[in-house]
Formats: sequence, C-alpha cells, structure tokens
Amino acid sequence: QTTGLVGLAVAENPHERLRILYTKILGVLQNIPKDAAYRKYTEQIVNQRFNLVQTETDVQKLQDKLNSGHIEEVIVQAENELSLARKMIQWKPWEPLVEEPPSDQWRWPI
Amino acid sequence: TVRPKNEVEQKQLCAFGEYVAEILPKYIQQVQVTCFNELELLIHPDGIIPVLTFLRDHTNAQFKSLADLTAVDVPSRQYRFEIVYNLLSLRFNSRIRVKTYTDELTPVDSAVPVHKAANWYEREVWDMYGVFFANHPDLRRILTDYGFEGHPFRKDFPLSGYVEVRYDDEVKRVVAEPVELSQEFRKFDLNSPWEAFPAYRAAPEPLKIEAGAKKEDAK
Repeated sequence: QTTGLVGLAVAENPHERLRILYTKILGVLQNIPKDAAYRKYTEQIVNQRFNLVQTETDVQKLQDKLNSGHIEEVIVQAENELSLARKMIQWKPWEPLVEEPPSDQWRWPI
Repeated sequence: TVRPKNEVEQKQLCAFGEYVAEILPKYIQQVQVTCFNELELLIHPDGIIPVLTFLRDHTNAQFKSLADLTAVDVPSRQYRFEIVYNLLSLRFNSRIRVKTYTDELTPVDSAVPVHKAANWYEREVWDMYGVFFANHPDLRRILTDYGFEGHPFRKDFPLSGYVEVRYDDEVKRVVAEPVELSQEFRKFDLNSPWEAFPAYRAAPEPLKIEAGAKKEDAK
C-alpha cells in the first residue's frame, strides 16, 4: 500500500486523525471574533469536510467526495489550516486597513 | 486579431479576489483583475508574511508554489520599489500576483519563512535594486561582481555602468576604472509628433474590486 507521493506515508486511521484536527481547528476559531470573515468561511469549510468524514467510512469514496487528492494530502492541508488559524489570532487581519497607500502608488501607466 | 475574452474565468477570479479581500481587509489595499485574467492583490508592506501564509495554508487558496519574486523601480513615486510575488496553486491550477511597495531605505519582511524558494530571489532583488529584507538567512550579492558598488536595475543606474572597463595591468591583475566609451550614449526619441491613439487618451480604469465595507468605514 502506498500513496504514490514522495515523503507521504500511508495514514492508518485517517478518519480519527481528521476528526481530531477538525475539532482542534474549530476550537482555535472560537478565539476569533464572530463577525470576522475568516472565521465564517473557515468554519463553513471545516464543518463541510467534517460531516463528509463522519458520514463516509470508506477511504476511497471519501477521497472522491472531498475531491482534494489523497487522504494524506487532506490531512496535511488540515494541519496547515490549523497552524494558519493559530497565526491569524496573532495577526488579526479582520481589522480595518493599516495604512492607505500614497495616491499615485498603484496608478498605472504612471 | 484580438484575444477572445474568457468571461467565466474573469468572473471566477473576481469572486476569488473579493473573497480574499473580505478575509484580509487589514493589509489588502486594492484588488485588480487584468484583461488577460491575472488576479493581483496590492498589499501594505506590513502584511507580506500574513498574506503569503494565508495564501499558502488556507484550504480555498493553496498557493504552495512561489513562481517569481521581483521588484519594479518607478523613481517618480514616493515608495519607489514595487515588490512582486507570483504564486501558483497546484491544487486549483491558478496563479495570483501579490504586490507591495517600499522605498530605498525601508526594510521589507523576508518571505523565506513562508516559501523557501524566496531565498535567492530576495538576494537578487537586494543585489539589483537595493531593497533590504529583514530576517533573511543570508542576504548578500548574487549576480554582481565581488566588489561591485551600486544597484544595476535601478532606473538611475546607466546602461553602461560606472566602472565597467577592466583590464590586466602592470600589476598583473584586473582593475576597475571609470568607463570610457568610444561613442557617447545617444538616446533616440521615437515618439511621433502626431497623436497615435486618440481614443485612448486617458488610461483605462482597471477592474477594481472594493475591499469590503470595512475599508470604507476606515476612510
């Protein structure tokens, strides 16, 4: 059994791992203000994937339904989303614009 | 012949641009889609690392590949250099461009923690333009000669350079001397005295997407 991708080992029990990761992401998202667009959209994506993971037990069919490459890639993506959510709490990108650019900065042609 | 307009792709890129601008209103100043279906995000320089990590890690925008990192010199602006990042998403087969600005003395955050590929690209931008990258692991010259002074790609650096002429001397080594050209530089003004395109006198407005209601509130 092999994923066919270099460096990605076959994941045993991917449903469990994905369940843990998605619950962690949702927990981290609770620390973001409720009206932030990032929280809204990420919760939407995570809940969608979470429901699919919980309803579908067959790995192959789950991969087809998620339509996002191998299950191991989905796990890597969930880990990335978790680290991103943690960093978003520090950066707070939902606040209004930091600084307006000078008026001629983005004019093209000059 | 004129290239046929791909309305579907343009709408998709517009929608995605609005999505990203809604999630990151703190750093994104403007979003535009060119007529060749290229999405561009115009960023405040503080937001390079947040925006690049978001584009790399978020599920809807897995731009894992940094295709290019360059700079553009426009000497007439207050912030003269425009740093351009070209990203490619392998999962969704799409590209995006992220642009920031800086002047000659302000350092910019290095993208190396986010994309390892940025290492040599940032060295090249430092060498050629003089844009300093903070937290870069190894920022030194990469294309110019070892004792070279100046930043060649700047618009005020002449085409022939200042100290280009080098030859072996009685001292039996290569020396750098001020450049002597046999013919002085001639600049030809190729504009015709008649107006070429009367229909295009004003620059066309790019397809601008407002960065959500929050930007208008900040004004």
